[in-house]
Amino acid sequence: MKAEIKLALTMGLLGGVVVFLFGGWSVTVLGILIGVFMGLSIGGRVNKKDGPRKLALQSLSTAGIAAVVFIAVSLFQNYVVAPAGGQFPSELYIVIPANLIGGLGMILFTALTAALHGLPDRQERLGKLILMVVLVIAFPFIDRITGLHWSGQIIFALIFVILGLGLNIVVGFAGLLDFGYAAFFAIGAYTTGILSSPQHHIFMNFWLVIWIALGMAALWGLILGTPTLRLRGDYLAIVTLGCGEMMPIIFRNLTNVTIKEPLTCWIIPGIMRLFNSSAATKCITIIDNLDLTAGEKGINPIGRPYLPFIGEFQSNNPIPWYFLIILLILLSVFLIRRLRDGRLGRAWMACREDQDAAVQMGIDPVHTKLTAFALGAAFSGFAGAFYAAYIRGIFPSVFEFSTSIIVLCIVVLGGMGNINGVILGGIIIMGADRLFLPALKDLLKGLMDHTILPALASNHTLQAVVAQNANPILYRYLLFGLTLVIMMALRPEGIIPSAQIRAELHADEETSAVEKAVKN
Amino acid sequence: MLELIEVHTYYGNIHALKGVSMTVAEGEIVTVIGSNGAGKSTMLRTIHGILRPKKGTILLEGEALEKLPSHKIVERGISQSPEGRMIFPRMTVQENLEMGAYTRKDKAGIAQDFEWVFKLFPRLKERINQKGGTLSGGEQQMLAIGRAMMAHPRIMLLDEPSMGLSPILVGQIFETIVELNKQGTTILLVEQNARMALSIAHRGYVLQTGEIILHDTSAKLKEDPMVQKSYLGAN
Repeated sequence: MKAEIKLALTMGLLGGVVVFLFGGWSVTVLGILIGVFMGLSIGGRVNKKDGPRKLALQSLSTAGIAAVVFIAVSLFQNYVVAPAGGQFPSELYIVIPANLIGGLGMILFTALTAALHGLPDRQERLGKLILMVVLVIAFPFIDRITGLHWSGQIIFALIFVILGLGLNIVVGFAGLLDFGYAAFFAIGAYTTGILSSPQHHIFMNFWLVIWIALGMAALWGLILGTPTLRLRGDYLAIVTLGCGEMMPIIFRNLTNVTIKEPLTCWIIPGIMRLFNSSAATKCITIIDNLDLTAGEKGINPIGRPYLPFIGEFQSNNPIPWYFLIILLILLSVFLIRRLRDGRLGRAWMACREDQDAAVQMGIDPVHTKLTAFALGAAFSGFAGAFYAAYIRGIFPSVFEFSTSIIVLCIVVLGGMGNINGVILGGIIIMGADRLFLPALKDLLKGLMDHTILPALASNHTLQAVVAQNANPILYRYLLFGLTLVIMMALRPEGIIPSAQIRAELHADEETSAVEKAVKN
Repeated sequence: MLELIEVHTYYGNIHALKGVSMTVAEGEIVTVIGSNGAGKSTMLRTIHGILRPKKGTILLEGEALEKLPSHKIVERGISQSPEGRMIFPRMTVQENLEMGAYTRKDKAGIAQDFEWVFKLFPRLKERINQKGGTLSGGEQQMLAIGRAMMAHPRIMLLDEPSMGLSPILVGQIFETIVELNKQGTTILLVEQNARMALSIAHRGYVLQTGEIILHDTSAKLKEDPMVQKSYLGAN
């Protein structure tokens, strides 16, 4: 009982924090999402034999407490925080239905999800799948109807989910620490930029370019991996760091590319000079002063995907983009699962566990690590192509070290080697970065301008310091760093760990538990 | 079957094997005894392609192995139960055994060898879904040998299978080695426990600071005064 109240309060407050920032209709969307999440947590520790009806009824008390807390926070936001930030509270005709649907939705979805756990295994899985599909499909439409406009930012989060899935092959499956993953993201994006923009007057179809981007990223994975993967552990991490640093610099400076054919330009004239001949030969220039990447100002506009009935994807309508990225994620997850469960996946894991032992089993470690590197890179090609088309322009500064670190953060938060965890990690980290922090910034700014700064008017120095530092976006890298530190210290296996990794990381605790059991 | 001719191996500047020559014939158990640091493991690692000899030749049925990468050597029919066992701690017993059959593609043969391993080590069948890291020392040694069996080798290299085990367990492990040999696997056994090793081997070599100083049948080695003094603890 105590655990249930704790869960109810945590969930209610967690949802409350988000509603606190966004207000309005967010209470409805969050209510339903948290309901599903709560149902899953409750369902994880119930007695399956109780059957769906009993489980649903059991969950009602928890859901009810959570809903009350949640709505209380929502109303507090609307009537106390919003006015303090200089905004008008939402009108009653929004407040009442939004909170009502949010609260009831939370209870309903908690009960529904909890009830699924009472069904036989196959039906339970099918039920969860249907629930997921419905939520994923419904999200952008609900988002549009309620006017929240989260889809555009969620799409960014989903791009990073693909990056996380790719890096997870390298770091999670094969155990190779890669600090330069953004390099491959850059290659995917620049391949797309170069092949479908006015920069070179090449306008290839997006549906073709995305596969070329994938191939190019994989190819560069091989090129950068071949000399570096002979190294182990720390050394590899440092080399990947270097490669990642080089890539934006290279793209920044590929503005004046000249390639001359060596035989006619240097070798033959050189021989001629040896013999003091003054006969002039014609130097063949293959590429002359080509501006490949347009340097700092970047490539734009980049071509966009086109589909019959939908037409060209537009910036003001996120829905087609949303479904395209969902499709790419599904494809990636399908392929990555197949890889993981196959022969190659086993070789990756053997190398991660003990490379020397793996070699004795007849595994070629260089080949194994190279495929992990190249395939991991390939998925970032997907992400790069989508990103370039979605943003319509690419700039070298996007692909710097910080991007590699964010992706690494996603993998660590989700749990290394855990596909579902990485998806959740990507949504949490990028959701925090793209939605949460800007909303927090607006909220703080409102509160500052209307309530806090006027209150500090007597002390000008303090007022200035507070005003300058009250921007949470300034602290985003601090937050990423903290995430890494906290996760590594407290939960190295990630938020939803795979059983295998948990067994390894908590081996001591397990043995001591066994010892205790034996003593008793 | 397996022949080493004047093999020299170095760790950097350290001359670890100084011209080792030996042979193992089909169906034999051959043991190499020697103290710590004599170069026993170095020899097995050199045969297995993990270390490269600077000079000399290693022949398996007349084919030179010393230029082949490790994974090709496993395919040729040599597998190893390494020193310190080196099982995969986070994989289950079943997954560990599957890794042993990594180079093979004959599903039926692999299934047969699973049965073979479980018949020899019924204990492993009981623990099939347990993580390798949670097994006891003796079970881990069984798993290491079972994993080497899964490659269905023509010759198996065993590196100190008695290490860290109680005398009873050592007895059991050595009985299984004899059984394995009777079923047709040629065995090259490296041991510090010379008494046990000489009790099951047909022939033996004595390795001292990188050189073979003596070789003979096990029976004769057991009678040799030098062996008795240095390796069997006789006064």
